Amino acid sequence: MPAAAQIRVMVVDDQMTMRSLVRTGLQQLGFSDITEAPDGEEALRQILARPVHLVISDFNMPRLDGMGLLRALRSHGPTAKTAFIMLTGRADKELVQKAVQLGVNNYLVKPFTVQTLKDKIEAVFGKLT
Amino acid sequence: MTPDAHRLDPAGSKRIHVVQGEFAVSDDPDVMLGTILGSCVAACVRDPLAGVGGMNHFLLPGDQDTATAGGPGALRYGVQSMELLLNALYRKGARRERLEAKLFGGARVIDGLSDIGQQNAAFAERFLQAEGIALRGGSLRGDQARRIQFWPVSGRVRQMALVEPARQVFEAERAKPVPAPAAGDGELELF
Repeated sequence: MPAAAQIRVMVVDDQMTMRSLVRTGLQQLGFSDITEAPDGEEALRQILARPVHLVISDFNMPRLDGMGLLRALRSHGPTAKTAFIMLTGRADKELVQKAVQLGVNNYLVKPFTVQTLKDKIEAVFGKLT
Repeated sequence: MTPDAHRLDPAGSKRIHVVQGEFAVSDDPDVMLGTILGSCVAACVRDPLAGVGGMNHFLLPGDQDTATAGGPGALRYGVQSMELLLNALYRKGARRERLEAKLFGGARVIDGLSDIGQQNAAFAERFLQAEGIALRGGSLRGDQARRIQFWPVSGRVRQMALVEPARQVFEAERAKPVPAPAAGDGELELF
């Protein structure tokens, strides 16, 4: 069982308020190594400099959106297996299906609870300690 | 938006009524977005250069976990409402750095109850500040229900105080159930 504190997470969303909500939820679950980026381009730059184990990313963002970030990570050897959870709205079914084709590990429909966040992460990593 | 929510008013404007939990955006100069607010808040946001604007209408649940203000409690409903509005504006050509907003509502309509209106108003102000969206005015708090009319292209807003039915507005807001958060996978089972 992986320890949440040992999983390095990158939260990507153009809204600072949403990043803050996700970060607070992650901290409640025991995560402590959390970084943030306001768009896919900045996230990619940071991840290439310092790899992470998990990316939780919004779809709608300026510059490079969530799908572009996912595609970029999957096509680059060292980051190809980074776990990726997409944040979506309820009406984004086609988007999720496309993300699945690109290799997304799971998705999180907003607004979500901390328990749902935990369930989604555990579906990827296994039970957290 | 329901089919009958889009009508012509006597002045010729196409009127869209924005109910609690909903939002609407438009780039049509003849469209007027309207709503009635008690302790709910409506954000009227526009990009003057792109000529597009929109309005949402939200109420944070009364049992929000204020202990984790900014955390994943009931505030997520407000964040979600703002995000849906902003994303719809971006899809119509708006740019974040050009957005400007006016906030309305958040009244303390009935004495003696916890001040939900204040919590809604404070959330909306904090959100705009955190996201760097210019607050250009509006009318928050107070003790009266309001009727708001917003022309999203010009940015013009008309506010009318509703003195008599304030209690009914407030009770209608409280009666409307808060949508359940997305628990689990929704309707799509892929994982």
